[in-house]
Amino acid sequence: MKYVPYVLLAIAALLFPYAVSQVFLHTPIEAEMGTAQKIFYFHVPLAWTTMVFGVVCGIAAGIQLRIRSERAEAIAVAAGEMVVLCGAGVLITGPIWGDATWGTPWTGDARQTSTALLWLVFVAYLLVRRYGPANSDRLAAALAIFGAVDVPIIYYAVKIWKTIHPQTTVVGSLPGSMWATLWLCVAAILPTCIALVWIRADQERSAMALDRAWIERDAAAATA
Amino acid sequence: MDITALPESESAAPGGEAESPENVKKVEGRDPETVRLKRAYESEVEAKVASDHQHIVWAYGVIWVLFVGYGMLLWRRANAQRADLERLQKR
Repeated sequence: MKYVPYVLLAIAALLFPYAVSQVFLHTPIEAEMGTAQKIFYFHVPLAWTTMVFGVVCGIAAGIQLRIRSERAEAIAVAAGEMVVLCGAGVLITGPIWGDATWGTPWTGDARQTSTALLWLVFVAYLLVRRYGPANSDRLAAALAIFGAVDVPIIYYAVKIWKTIHPQTTVVGSLPGSMWATLWLCVAAILPTCIALVWIRADQERSAMALDRAWIERDAAAATA
Repeated sequence: MDITALPESESAAPGGEAESPENVKKVEGRDPETVRLKRAYESEVEAKVASDHQHIVWAYGVIWVLFVGYGMLLWRRANAQRADLERLQKR
């Protein structure tokens, strides 16, 4: 199990160059948007990853709130960081793509706004988790659960409100070559993110164990 | 007298070929207006492709920087933890 994240990273390292070559050399240029549509192949997987880890963080935080599990807490922190990382990617590449195709980087539509809200909630989660007072982990967990609730809002935003964003059905309607390239990019990004979350969760558990060891050592020194 | 019936030497073109409509070849794309429109279209496409490429480089660059930056952050954290563990073991 110790080597699982490194195996995932090795798979991703092999897939990334292949995915990028497929995007630029073997996938046709989209007729309406032109070459700028190539941003889609990494923007969408990043958005999906953000949502997946938003839900993972919310569930782990809920478990941590309920049964005080150290493992759940470590996973929640690691997943929260991944949401912020991938969310930043989505919130930067989206406006770049929008600027190229819509002529404006930010339209303030429901999907953009709810994604920005998700990102801010998880930034707040990490800040409370890191700089909050003692027992602020409960407040942080509540924030993570609130963030996870935002995920279905992001998904259904294009169905509920009028937005310039493409509908959720757009992936299913892609031509075969574009569809295959998109899933290849998902296959490159997702293992990378799982591996990074895995490594970060291990680090968090080690940090907790180290903290405990320091406290025990100080207590032993005080009683001696 | 039939005035349309010109002598053979007068109806022939200076080069010696007859200028009947069947022999005139239409030259495509030589019309200045068409050429001007084509050039304008080409420069518009060129500007769009250049702009798209610039956007793509920025988008992919940002993704690369984010992931490499996070990887380095994890590596630094791991080093700091290792140093902390060594300090704890020495005491």
